[in-house]
Amino acid sequence: MSSENKTPLLSVRNLVVEFSTRYGPVRAVDDISFDVYPNETVGIVGESGCGKTVTGLTLLQLIPMPPGRIVQGSINFDGRDLTKLSEKEMQEMRGSDISMIFQEPMTALNPVFSVGNQMIDVLRRHKNLTRRQARELAINMLDTVGIPAPRKRIDEYPHQMSGGMRQRVMIAMALSCGPKLLIADEPTTALDVTTQAQVMEQIVKLQDEFHMSMILVTHDLGVVAESCDRAIVMYCGNIIETAAIDDLFHKPQHPYTRGLLDSIPRIREERITELPIIRGMVPDLLHLPDGCRFADRCPRATDECRQDKPVVNIDPVTGNGVACYHPMG
Amino acid sequence: MSSVAPEPVVDETVVDDGSAHRESIWAKTVYKLRRDRLGMVGLSVVLLYFIVAIGVWLGIWATEWGDVEGPKWAPMSAEYWFGTNIIGQDVFARAIYSTKTAFEVGLVVAVLSTIIGALLGALAGFFSGTWIDEIILWLKGVLDSIPFYLFVAAVAFALSGNPYAMHIAMVSTFWTTTGRLVRGEVIKLKNFEFVEAARAIGVPQVVIIFRHILPNTFHILLVQATIVFVAAIKSEVILSFLGLGVQDGVSWGLMIAESTQEVLAGFFNNFVWASVFLFGLVMAFNMFSDALQDALDPRKVASE
Amino acid sequence: MSTLLKVVDLKKYFPVRGGMFHRVVAHVKAVDGVSFELEKGRTLGLVGESGCGKSTLGRAVLRLHEPTSGQIILNGDDLMTLNREALTAHRRQMQIIFQDPYASLSPRRTVAQTIQEPLDVHKIGTPREREKKVEELLDVVGLRKQVLSRYPHEFSGGQRQRIGIARSLALNPNFIVADEPVSALDVSVQSQVLNLIARLQREHGISFLFISHDLAVIQHVSDDVGVMYLGRLVELASADDLYRKPRHPYTKALMSAIPVPDPKKKSKRIILGGDVPSPMNPPPGCPFHTRCPDAMPRCKEAVPPRINVGSEDQPHFVDCHLFADESAT
Repeated sequence: MSSENKTPLLSVRNLVVEFSTRYGPVRAVDDISFDVYPNETVGIVGESGCGKTVTGLTLLQLIPMPPGRIVQGSINFDGRDLTKLSEKEMQEMRGSDISMIFQEPMTALNPVFSVGNQMIDVLRRHKNLTRRQARELAINMLDTVGIPAPRKRIDEYPHQMSGGMRQRVMIAMALSCGPKLLIADEPTTALDVTTQAQVMEQIVKLQDEFHMSMILVTHDLGVVAESCDRAIVMYCGNIIETAAIDDLFHKPQHPYTRGLLDSIPRIREERITELPIIRGMVPDLLHLPDGCRFADRCPRATDECRQDKPVVNIDPVTGNGVACYHPMG
Repeated sequence: MSSVAPEPVVDETVVDDGSAHRESIWAKTVYKLRRDRLGMVGLSVVLLYFIVAIGVWLGIWATEWGDVEGPKWAPMSAEYWFGTNIIGQDVFARAIYSTKTAFEVGLVVAVLSTIIGALLGALAGFFSGTWIDEIILWLKGVLDSIPFYLFVAAVAFALSGNPYAMHIAMVSTFWTTTGRLVRGEVIKLKNFEFVEAARAIGVPQVVIIFRHILPNTFHILLVQATIVFVAAIKSEVILSFLGLGVQDGVSWGLMIAESTQEVLAGFFNNFVWASVFLFGLVMAFNMFSDALQDALDPRKVASE
Repeated sequence: MSTLLKVVDLKKYFPVRGGMFHRVVAHVKAVDGVSFELEKGRTLGLVGESGCGKSTLGRAVLRLHEPTSGQIILNGDDLMTLNREALTAHRRQMQIIFQDPYASLSPRRTVAQTIQEPLDVHKIGTPREREKKVEELLDVVGLRKQVLSRYPHEFSGGQRQRIGIARSLALNPNFIVADEPVSALDVSVQSQVLNLIARLQREHGISFLFISHDLAVIQHVSDDVGVMYLGRLVELASADDLYRKPRHPYTKALMSAIPVPDPKKKSKRIILGGDVPSPMNPPPGCPFHTRCPDAMPRCKEAVPPRINVGSEDQPHFVDCHLFADESAT
């Protein structure tokens, strides 16, 4: 999937999201810009607290406001700026044009209603269907996401299903109105490896079938490598690198990306005694350094890095970009 | 991977100064409490009452509460601010003195029933499912099922003449709610890994309860103590009114009891002022207690 | 090398109560007949998905969960025959590191109190010596002395995990159960803690039973690896052997399911059907036959025996009917 000569489906520009805390305002997302093209899967990766989840939630305006606040920036989706929509317009958007699936399917499903009732509700809210039609469509969707005996299982309650099944139900619900964009926030983190494999495979297959774009928010670089076309690496609320997936994994430019890739324990031919690590720890969002936020942990940092914050410069040909004065090359 | 493996960096000492988070759960609680305006008003009023009570206790004021000095049923005046009662005692001095009585009853009952509730609740929770738990639950069930005033009357008769019959009766029934809440919390806490860690080290069970579990129920105990304090003051009034309460001295309950004869005769000073004092303290304490509960709620603390 | 720990046919059943009279109506067979040996100074990795009983096994070996039956022979003594006092004395040589660094430290105890507690309980040394030992331990796990008077909530996950490790080292144990010690941590911190554990093993000769759901982490730390499924050990071999040539169909599926952080290596995936059966009602015969791609009629009837498909001095045990003819002995 190439991104040239196309208009992006989603275009985020200079987005800043701030949370007020008693210690002062914290910028969870600080001036980020990125595009998502039709049919494309973009991974947003980073460690906890880097702002990846807030980014995903902000796109759908699901962050609690207050204490959260979009300070500046625009989110252009399909020709409309989502930051300017009213709550009512946003509600129509959610679940129909843009859907989201979350990490913990148990908390996202209402335990006192059957799976079928919840799906029918969503369908009828966004589409002009009779109850019977909606039910048929729901059964169809359950079948599509690989739930065996959907006619029987549609009347089950969330607690009667396993974690993998519940996540499939969430996916069926998210896709039932044919969204153009799916935001998946750590969709398989709560699942076991074998179940994760089942569910990820299903998501990727459905994305193709439904011709939709996807934003995959995750900390798992393995999942990103297997299912994304492009990835965005976040650190302390900034985007520090964005690249096509092969480039990111084989020629990481930012020292942080490189460190992250090196430090994942992976199955190797030969065992090594010492895993490569990134020194130190993520700085506190309240006490961020002036320059590059990674400078304190970076083996390549110079005085320049500590004084001025580098910005991402996107290469117009490759679409890759890195916020670093001394990229790995 | 195409990249060459980098030189492993030696594991260095990793510590941030963490200045932003250098504060305890209590500091957070105090911060939240101070932002709760209603709670702070409540606390100020409670403190005012407390100063009044301390003054009485030190003999600074209201020393003349028992003197028969004025005419019977004197109206409110510069000399007798709240008038006098049926035998000519100063209602103002008596209302002030009763503040001390209220604090005495409230504190004794709150402290003792909290201690008993914490101990029995912790034992029941830690040994939940065993005979220890069964016995404590049975005791709690029995005490909860006896009508309160009947129980107090029975204790008062059984300990006839003992000035602390009322206190004993209240403590032995008021601990049950605290006990139930602590038991639930302990059942939750005892499955935490830090308790398992203590067991893995070989820490004796009693030490685990007192050192690792009970300190983590402190927020419940604090809130429960304030609730019991208010309940004790209110019960004291009713019990004293029934003649089962304060035996010597004076209290708002005794004042209201006295006023039964006065109200019929059209004199309301005793009744009104005792009620106003009682209402003020109970109201203020409840406001403070609610704010404290909010401030200590771990879910709300976590969301900050 | 000599055997430090020998576990024979260990079982841990949790009673399930129900009905009007609170009777035991069923048992959850969390650990159902597990045997293994651990040599001095080596690490046995235990891998499996959630609910397979690996954490219960770790705790049962330490008698933190009282086992239902079996033998646990540590340094020649059968822990199952010890009374409470004798067991407390034995706790000096065996310790545990927990998964959740937020739940494993007493919130109202300072770092110094936490690390010193084992020394106090076992009355080791004078108070002076204990304080010195605590400072040494901090040094070992890479924390500064200034942290001694602080409380757990002031630390990050990785730092808390270091405090927990210091506590478990206080009594100079020769055996430590590490129950998912890094799975709650971010990638970059994960590798720091893994390196620390590897170093402790090298420098102090401690034997580890290392429990994790992550095959890559297990490979990095383990000399031998056991794979658990539904309360049983289905494969047990040296790490090199197991990763080079997994034999049990479940191990193969597990390995193929791991997402590889390399977009060019799309692995051929064995997708398992269905879910793990309930340990309350495990299937007869081989516990894996309901999901096994190679299941034969025999698997439904007979519990597979333990077969050595390796050599006498390099054993590779697998509990599977497929290898019935391959037994080395």
